[in-house]
Amino acid sequence: MAGRGTNGRHGSRGHAGRTAALARLLHKECIQLLELYRNSESLPSSPVDGGYLVSIPPLVPQLSDAEKISILHAALKECLRLLEDVITREDAEFSDEDSEYKRKWKTVRDRLGHLLASTEQLLVEGQKFEAKVKEELDGQAVSGSFRLKMWIVRVLQDLVHWTGQTSDTLRSLPAEVEKAPKTMSRRTRRGAEKIRK
Amino acid sequence: HPQLNTCLLLSLCNVTGLGEPRGLTLNPDLPAQTLSLAWQSDSTLFDLEIFHTEFMNVVLNVIQADPVTGLHSWTWHSPLPLECTSHSVRIRARNQQSVSQWSPLQTIPGWDIPEKSYMFPEDKMIPVGSNMTFCCIVNEKEDFKEIKYGRQEMKATRLSRRSYAITVTNQPASDNTGTNVICSSQKFQMLTGTVVFVGYPPGDEGLVCETRDLASAECSWKKGRDTHLRIKQSLTNYTLNGRDCLEANERKTWCSSKMWEENWTLEARNPLGTVQLTDSAQLTDRGIHLLAPVNVAAVKVEAWSATLQWSWSVAAYKKLEMVCQLRLFAHELSSTRNYDGPGLSSVVLEGLWPDVDYTVTLRCGSKHSFWKWGDESAPYRIHTKMDRPDALDVWMWMDSSNTGHVFWKPLSVRKSHGALNGYEVSQSSAEEDGRNTVSLPPGNFSYPILLNNSSDVTVAVAARNPAGLSQPSTVTTPAYRADSQLSVSELLGTNGSFVLSWEPNVSASSGYVVEWFPTGCTGLCPIDWKKLPESDRSFTVNSDSLVAGVRYTVSVYSLYTSAPTLLQRWQGYSQEMIPSQSVSELSLNQTGSDVLLSWKATEMKQQRGFIRGYTIYLASAAHLDLIANITDPAVQSYRVKGLTLSSYKFVVKAYTSAGEDAGATVAIKMEMDTDMLFVGILVPLGIMFCCIILFSIFFYKKREWVKKAFYPEIPGPKVSGDWSSPRGPLDVKPSPHSLVHIVKNPEWDFTKEGLFPVPEEEEESENDNMEVDTDSDEPALLRYYNQVVGDGSHSNQVSDSSASSTASMGSTQTEITYAGIQSPSSSQGAYSGGGYRPQMQSVTGPAEPQIEFEADFQDDGLNAGYKPQCSWQLDSPEAENFSGSLGSPTSVTSSQFLIPESSEEKPQPSNTWFHNFLSGKS
Repeated sequence: MAGRGTNGRHGSRGHAGRTAALARLLHKECIQLLELYRNSESLPSSPVDGGYLVSIPPLVPQLSDAEKISILHAALKECLRLLEDVITREDAEFSDEDSEYKRKWKTVRDRLGHLLASTEQLLVEGQKFEAKVKEELDGQAVSGSFRLKMWIVRVLQDLVHWTGQTSDTLRSLPAEVEKAPKTMSRRTRRGAEKIRK
Repeated sequence: HPQLNTCLLLSLCNVTGLGEPRGLTLNPDLPAQTLSLAWQSDSTLFDLEIFHTEFMNVVLNVIQADPVTGLHSWTWHSPLPLECTSHSVRIRARNQQSVSQWSPLQTIPGWDIPEKSYMFPEDKMIPVGSNMTFCCIVNEKEDFKEIKYGRQEMKATRLSRRSYAITVTNQPASDNTGTNVICSSQKFQMLTGTVVFVGYPPGDEGLVCETRDLASAECSWKKGRDTHLRIKQSLTNYTLNGRDCLEANERKTWCSSKMWEENWTLEARNPLGTVQLTDSAQLTDRGIHLLAPVNVAAVKVEAWSATLQWSWSVAAYKKLEMVCQLRLFAHELSSTRNYDGPGLSSVVLEGLWPDVDYTVTLRCGSKHSFWKWGDESAPYRIHTKMDRPDALDVWMWMDSSNTGHVFWKPLSVRKSHGALNGYEVSQSSAEEDGRNTVSLPPGNFSYPILLNNSSDVTVAVAARNPAGLSQPSTVTTPAYRADSQLSVSELLGTNGSFVLSWEPNVSASSGYVVEWFPTGCTGLCPIDWKKLPESDRSFTVNSDSLVAGVRYTVSVYSLYTSAPTLLQRWQGYSQEMIPSQSVSELSLNQTGSDVLLSWKATEMKQQRGFIRGYTIYLASAAHLDLIANITDPAVQSYRVKGLTLSSYKFVVKAYTSAGEDAGATVAIKMEMDTDMLFVGILVPLGIMFCCIILFSIFFYKKREWVKKAFYPEIPGPKVSGDWSSPRGPLDVKPSPHSLVHIVKNPEWDFTKEGLFPVPEEEEESENDNMEVDTDSDEPALLRYYNQVVGDGSHSNQVSDSSASSTASMGSTQTEITYAGIQSPSSSQGAYSGGGYRPQMQSVTGPAEPQIEFEADFQDDGLNAGYKPQCSWQLDSPEAENFSGSLGSPTSVTSSQFLIPESSEEKPQPSNTWFHNFLSGKS
């Protein structure tokens, strides 16, 4: 841990930069994917009501960047799970036809996996957060293909939102990462414990 | 709000009872959008009403009677999803005009309850062109805005307080994931929605079943029209003879069965419909589609044949009567051979060529009731063995009586049977024993022959390859016959070829040889030949072996056991062209007015056709003028006659049947002979001299007549009175048109003697004078004082005055002469110039008139008589100035006629020797 703290600081700044760039790229691709889907389905551009599927503790200023990254990492992890679920559902529902939209799906999924692996290295050891998914597809009242489509839109909205959040946070990271505590402050830990499982 | 009213009135007829129907029950089928009614009653005729509960819209008045059975149940199909709003039903019995009480309302609740927003129907699959009604239920807190079908905004009707509906007619096929129908509120663009899948029933066609192993079946078909249904549960399912065909899908259109059945039925089903395809065939009649042969190999390969073997993966094939097709590919050539037999597994390939690479493929089919070729085997390569080459085609060509070459043609791949190692040439003669054999490398195709004596030499040539030596081909030297020893015929090409024919020769027991080569060629020439059987009498030398514009010598030999014998020889061009070079040594020789053109024909190589003649042109700057056409090519000179002295350019062109060449040019400048030159100069000179003498004599003899005719005597003026003492005024009556208006010049000294005009009536104004000048027939009298002007005063005036005024004032003769004939402009000019000016000096310089004046003055002094001031000088430039006055009634310009003969004591300068000559003076 100490070794990583010393060597990893200088290394993590470069790595954080690359991770930030990756998050920025992924954020753009998520926007493109959402746009592609809306166009292919002739859906309005306004966001689907219901808020974000993935919920995390509020990213209050008192949290350190490392803690914020840990929390966002947990959110992105849930996003990846939802994304894979969407792909599975779509394949199950509709015939598997190649399209730009489907290719983009897979690109985003792979890149999100890379971003998760990359942010994993920025996490402070011992810190573990988990995000929650407020609403699962199976629990929704409206059934049928339209519900699936709306749920896909919501997953994409979440992807856009959380990759954007991650990108913003990572961009502000290099100045703060050296000060990142090896362990959480008491107050922060208490706040985070609320969502720990 | 417009409302969709779905109210149905149903009447069922019976004749008895009016009791109120009891026990009305409603049984909705939501997916099917049907509502089943059941009730109890003794009556058989009923009125039935269905309402949209909330607005209680009623409405259909159709009475349907069934007097026989009487139905106590009925099913209604709703055009609207039953979830869209609540439906209420009531029923009453009817007997003609009397009716019972309505049964209590029975209601099935809709989903338009306050909690949520919904849209119906969900995930419906309907055929293209269908009509459908969609409804949107808006929850309590939302205000309905619109419903969109895809991207199209639709007109909605209100079913209840919170339920709205649209009806879409003639729906088009959906995209991949269905057509979205989206309901939006004022707050949310996507309040709720549903998806409809619009497509087609299956369109598959063309079921064909076959067997690969004589036991199982494989059935295939063609995919028809796209169903447009991509949702998994709507994909087409297939069954073959009632068994699910799981391997078939949108892309794979085949299905297998373990057992062959005579009748096959494929059923393709999707939610929109079913299609059935059938096929029936006996296994023996049709349907055997053999698998590809395996383990193909050549077990025995020879030079001319090979044995091919293979095996079958299906044991049942061994007893099947089959036909196999074997395809051979070699050097871009292919051939196909068919073999048949039961369970065919080997064939012998005959008719192959030695040393050739073959690629073999094989496919088989059922011989009886042939259905189709089976799968093709993988290509197999066979290389046949070599064999001895074929015999060479040999010919001997003599270019002199004792030298020649033996030629042979290269063997083609088909004839060499393997790469050649070389050739063996052996030479023998009757007088010498044994053979002289030489080996030549494979690139040689000729060998020189030298005859030491007169006996014939026989040469044998054989080709060698690794498989052995070919049969030797022999040829005996033919007797050399120069062209000059023969009557060589002219041969005309036909379409680039030579068509030959000859009389049969009895000695040609071994046939004929036609030989051709470029005429004039010596040494190793491109000799070509063709051996023909003895039955042939004609041959065509194809254009492939001939070059246009080249003269060929074509010979026909008869072959016998001994030396070939020349039968006939021709020379000709397969295609004539214009000569490539003009005639040579073109020269000309002048003989008097004739020119002899002579030239030589160009060399045979450049002729490129038989020279048919020559054309001779006279060349000018722009074109050629044909002056001769010599049709005899032996004539190589031409005389051009009667040329005048000039430069000429001649062009001589040789022509063949293809046309003229570019032409050779020669030029000449014709020169006169010296004798003729002498005659040409002296004779005209002599004639001219004689003519001058004759004319001189004639004019001298007839000078009087000539003088009268061309220079008549002019009588001198008769002057009366005494001109010597006129001390008084001289009255002159000017002509009406020559009024001299004398202007009083302040600078003029009238006190001096001189001639000046005096008006007859001085008191008359100038205007009056002008009127007189113009209107009066009698001209006004001018009075002159004839005063003699002294020399000194005259010379002073000349020096003091301007040239013009000097000239007029200095001459007593001129003072009366030209005043009246001045043009008005001149008169005005005189006024403006400040005095009278005679017109003759108006344009002359001051010096010249002065000299003239002095000459005249001297004459006047001597003659003391009147003379015009101007001497007769027709050539004088001042004469032009008189043109305005010549012919005028007052003109006195022709002074020569006024000169009295007596005054001609001193001739005028104009009186030349010619004048004297005419006068007879010498």
